Amino acid sequence: MPFKLLWRNVTGHPIRSLLTIASVAVAVFLICMLHAVTSGLTRTLSAAASNRLLVQSAVSLFVDLPLSYQQKMAPVPGVEAICKWQWFGGRYEQDKGGFFAQFGIDPETFLPSYPEMSIVDGDYDEFRKRRTACVVGADLADKYGWKVGDTVPITGTIFTRTDGQPWQFDVAAVYRSSSASIDQQTMWFHFDYLHESLETGGAIGPQGVGVYMLRIAPGTDPIGVQQAVDALFENGPQRVQTTTEAEFNRQFVSMLGDVPSLLQMVGGAVLFAIFFAVLNTMIMAGRERTRDLGVLKALGFTDRTTALLLIAESLLVCGLGAALGLLLGVVLEGPFAAATASFIPGFGFDRGTLLLGAGLALAVGLISGLVPGLRAARLTTVAALREVG
Amino acid sequence: MAVAIQLHSVTKTYHRAGETLRVLDELDLAMDASTFYALMGPSGSGKTTLLNLVGGLDHADSGKLMVGADDLAALDGSALAQWRAENVGFVFQGFNLLPVLSARENVELPLLLAPLSRAQRRAQAERALELVGLADRMDHKPRELSGGQEQRVAIARAIATDPQILLADEPTGDLDRSTADQVLELLQRLNRELGKTILMVTHDPQAATYADKVIHLDKGKLGRIDDNRTASGAGARS
Repeated sequence: MPFKLLWRNVTGHPIRSLLTIASVAVAVFLICMLHAVTSGLTRTLSAAASNRLLVQSAVSLFVDLPLSYQQKMAPVPGVEAICKWQWFGGRYEQDKGGFFAQFGIDPETFLPSYPEMSIVDGDYDEFRKRRTACVVGADLADKYGWKVGDTVPITGTIFTRTDGQPWQFDVAAVYRSSSASIDQQTMWFHFDYLHESLETGGAIGPQGVGVYMLRIAPGTDPIGVQQAVDALFENGPQRVQTTTEAEFNRQFVSMLGDVPSLLQMVGGAVLFAIFFAVLNTMIMAGRERTRDLGVLKALGFTDRTTALLLIAESLLVCGLGAALGLLLGVVLEGPFAAATASFIPGFGFDRGTLLLGAGLALAVGLISGLVPGLRAARLTTVAALREVG
Repeated sequence: MAVAIQLHSVTKTYHRAGETLRVLDELDLAMDASTFYALMGPSGSGKTTLLNLVGGLDHADSGKLMVGADDLAALDGSALAQWRAENVGFVFQGFNLLPVLSARENVELPLLLAPLSRAQRRAQAERALELVGLADRMDHKPRELSGGQEQRVAIARAIATDPQILLADEPTGDLDRSTADQVLELLQRLNRELGKTILMVTHDPQAATYADKVIHLDKGKLGRIDDNRTASGAGARS
């Protein structure tokens, strides 16, 4: 019966209640998405391996390093393997609006340096042997329906073929990743295929290496290797900056600005806006029901009970909004994660995200209910009954 | 006959716009149990204030107010709320039913405060509605009822917990004559058949004829008490 009264009070103004519930739902959904993005970024950063260093130009990530640097870095004590990385920036012919990353890498050192990656279809040896072969992420293969043996046409935007045709890559293997630092939507191909095409005039584009990945031997002090590599090129021709993978990822994210702080500010603003909306609704509901509250008090309901009725009503509205918002979030989590996998491989709703959304909504409900609730508790029965209904 | 309500030198003042209004002025009054009282007097004579004090909705500034064996000045906050739930039923001029609840649910409201199961609450509410002649309107919302029916639901709500005292503030003020007579007959029946002590504020002399006694207040003091049962002529209704 008390719940029935609550429910009837909520449904007594269906449009107002629905609008309030919908605004709480949208706010909870947004806050959860923002939290999932920030925690996804954090997960990606914290999943970085400690035995991998990245060497980039000290000027900018967009300035390539000379190919000759590989030979100079190889003898540095502690460097176990080197893998070149070159951003390709191509577009898939069949989905020009879509985006996924492609990198030219060294097949011999790439997979052994990334134990978190495992080949789930095809053969990595086949990839190593064929210069036009590529390895693709399982999510990417699922998205476009690629299978091992398919040829994927990619049009270069940085590296264009002189014959005007797209690049052709043969899918040799499909990988999955067990770490948030590597997404499952990337295409990896032979750096040498790209380089030779540039050398022979088959393609045009900048010659060089975007980033060198150094795998360091177990027990090696990464700071020592960093300093040694940086010192090697201190006098040019191109100064380098060597960082840990975590720091590299952090810098990559910070190129977009202080994303986590920005997202938290947006989340806070959304929360504030919704708090005022719910508070407004509850104050209106409390005022409209002044006479009813007087009747309840006359019947013997205590000040506390009448206050609790309004607080519970506010919690009910916010609880329904939270449930709807979380449901929306859970339904849209998959598509959003797929769309952002290249940028935020760690994106996903965890228990913390769901608890945060529900907790904030209930906190808003509690505080919004307290204002009319306290008024109801303080209201004398005689004054409430005098109110014109 | 036992005394149900007793006031000794009860004073109540209100402060409005910098002015002090002495609404009840050292009022002495004793009301017998199981008697139907009408409370009359000009506007501002203290009728509703007296009703509110007797119903435990407000406290007197000074004096003593006993209802049965209970000294209402000694009760405060939740104790007074509990006392109201157990001892008093209210009937208001504007009916004051909760619009979102059905007739049965409105009558069940005061029973929520009693230690009853859901089924017991429901049965007791239905009995009260049957008593006021609304067995066929239990599931109707207030807006689906006529004014007279709404007031009868309010009376059913007031008697649902079987209180000894019913307080009615202009219960027929919003009703036409014929409907008002039906409601007054119902109150009279509750007094005569169930022994309820009823204190009814009214401006309507015709409504007052349904009461056993008529208390006249004037400027916060007792004017006189007419006894309709001993009055001759057209004054009293039996």
